[in-house]
Amino acid sequence: MLMNLIKVSKIYRIGHVEVLALNEVSVGIDRGEFVAIVGPSGSGKTTLLDILGCLSRPTSGDYWFDGKLVSRLPDDELTYIRNRKIGFVFQTFQLLPRKTVLENVQLPMLYAGVPWKAQRHRALQLLRDVGLEDRAHHLPTQLSGGQQQRVAIARALANTPDVILADEPTGNLDSRSGQDILGLFQRLHESGQTLVMITHDQQIAEQAQRRVMIADGRIVADDRASQQAPVPV
Amino acid sequence: MILAALILEALKNLTGNLLRTSLTMLGVIIGVASVITMVAIVEGGQLWLVRSIERLGTNLVFVWNKTLTAEERRLYEGRSIGLRYDDVLAIRARFPDLQVVPVVELDYSVKAAGRHFKGRVTGTSPEYADARNFHPAVGRFLLPTDIAEWKRVVVLGQEAAEKLFDQTSPLGKELKIGNQRFTVVGVMEKKGTIYGANYDEMLFIPVTTAMRRFQGNDKLDSLIIHVPRREQMEAIMAQVHALLVQRHDGVDDVRVRSQGEFLKAVDRTIWTFRIVLGGVAVVALVVGGIGIMNIMLVTVTERTREIGLRMAVGATRRHILLQFLVESVVISVVGGVIGMMVGIVAAYGFGDVVAQSMPGGGEWGAVVQPSAMLIAFSFAVIVGIFFGLYPALKASKLDPAEALRYQ
Ligand SMILES: Nc1ncnc2c1ncn2[C@@H]1O[C@H](COP(=O)(O)OP(=O)(O)OP(=O)(O)O)[C@@H](O)[C@H]1O
Ligand SMILES: [Mg+2]
Repeated sequence: MLMNLIKVSKIYRIGHVEVLALNEVSVGIDRGEFVAIVGPSGSGKTTLLDILGCLSRPTSGDYWFDGKLVSRLPDDELTYIRNRKIGFVFQTFQLLPRKTVLENVQLPMLYAGVPWKAQRHRALQLLRDVGLEDRAHHLPTQLSGGQQQRVAIARALANTPDVILADEPTGNLDSRSGQDILGLFQRLHESGQTLVMITHDQQIAEQAQRRVMIADGRIVADDRASQQAPVPV
Repeated sequence: MILAALILEALKNLTGNLLRTSLTMLGVIIGVASVITMVAIVEGGQLWLVRSIERLGTNLVFVWNKTLTAEERRLYEGRSIGLRYDDVLAIRARFPDLQVVPVVELDYSVKAAGRHFKGRVTGTSPEYADARNFHPAVGRFLLPTDIAEWKRVVVLGQEAAEKLFDQTSPLGKELKIGNQRFTVVGVMEKKGTIYGANYDEMLFIPVTTAMRRFQGNDKLDSLIIHVPRREQMEAIMAQVHALLVQRHDGVDDVRVRSQGEFLKAVDRTIWTFRIVLGGVAVVALVVGGIGIMNIMLVTVTERTREIGLRMAVGATRRHILLQFLVESVVISVVGGVIGMMVGIVAAYGFGDVVAQSMPGGGEWGAVVQPSAMLIAFSFAVIVGIFFGLYPALKASKLDPAEALRYQ
């Protein structure tokens, strides 16, 4: 199992108010899976993805990633995992506006210490794969939303991650561009890439291999629920 | 590798917002430039002062009457009256190599052809000219016969000559000091004002004339002793002092100082200047540093989402810290370099202004010293690091998940 959450809770504190965003969630995701996480607004989807992506730590419970108990690792090791093993795709693309498309794609490789020439080479290859080779030297603002999201996917793939985590990747796109992105995800899935995607859109969720439904910080439905068996530690 | 990329990145960010960057830099530029300018002017001033003092002769020892307390005066009553003309003769007899110059200062008004002049009438001896390196431009200085015969002859400073005789040549003319008639035998070369004393308003008469025709006693105000060789200075000072005390019936009522000690006093004054001006410049630099901190804090806030994204794709906290620190250091280094150039130009510019506006300041040029430039520059870089550290630390401590979603 690539990712395994065991009774993970997340509590946000704002002053005296506590928000229970995740309530003892247990879920496992295998290599090669394409999982859609669905649920109403405020149900805790983004919170779950942040924990899966090592962007934040659970308040309680254990998170195992690739055989490591990451909920207990120091910051720098979480950073290392994010850099080498996880690719992020966000609803708002999150491209650096002053950098060219090519430089944006290179960024994860820069922090991985890849030599500059190899960075360029790989970034161009990735842009070719997402069909944006001719836009390498443009600024993100000169691209359409769909194109920007494809750049973001190329960036997510830069260090050949174990998993791509996407938070509503089609949320800011019209349905045609959204479908393009989904086609790209399908292709990646077919080539064996593990994908976890949050979506509001039932139709888009249908195209994933597995759906996990979350409401009020709990998993309320899982296509693979029968197989889900948290490994005791 | 990553550091090189971060420096490039910082340069790009800084040039991307040129107005903001230059305004931030301005603080550092002004700080560094003012350090360099101020130090250069003070340094130039010191050099000028030392030179002008040395222009009044070198290897000199000054002896003058100590101001006694009431207690001491009562105690020494009847034993000593201070420096006397006999002391000069005694020193000359004991140390034939030395030039010993007696000085008597008189307070009389001077009149010539209806004009008045309140100059400094000084009774002295022929040796004065060589010892002080101050010679007549026309006519002659005092001669031994003037001394021997208490002659009523006078040598005028340039300004005294102009004020009393206007454009006409004063040589051979008569003037009155008090109510005694004197003949002008020479006019001194121009000397200017040195360390507060205007040498051009002086009038020189024979010391014997001053003592016997005006004072009615042979008391002296001071002595100037020229020592042929510098190495002898200390020994001579001690021996002259001892001789005088012995001659004054064991009363130590004179001060003996070398020119070098005066120069040291000048040095101390200069140091005070340096510290005060240096303090002002340091304040300017610190204000510049606060400007850097302010702008870097704004930058960090503006780029919160960028920081979150960088952390998400693999930037460690150290990478983020370095990125922002590099930016503030680049601001201070570039500001420091520009500040040095501005400082040098300003130093020479101000140097010229000072030279033209000061009486006798003609040779007061600014002296830009490499050490001052190095200190100012390193200080600017330290300021950049110090004031850049807090914003950079703040950036590096952001929570990646929250930073990514910052609006
Ligand atoms: N940083 C935070 N501080 C405090 N509360 C938070 C924070 N982030 C999320 N929450 C709260 O936690 C709960 C879950 O939020 P989360 O963003 O995970 O929901 P979501 O399912 O992604 O919603 P949406 O579909 O609107 O994106 C919400 O009630 C939200 O208000
Ligand atoms: Mg969300």
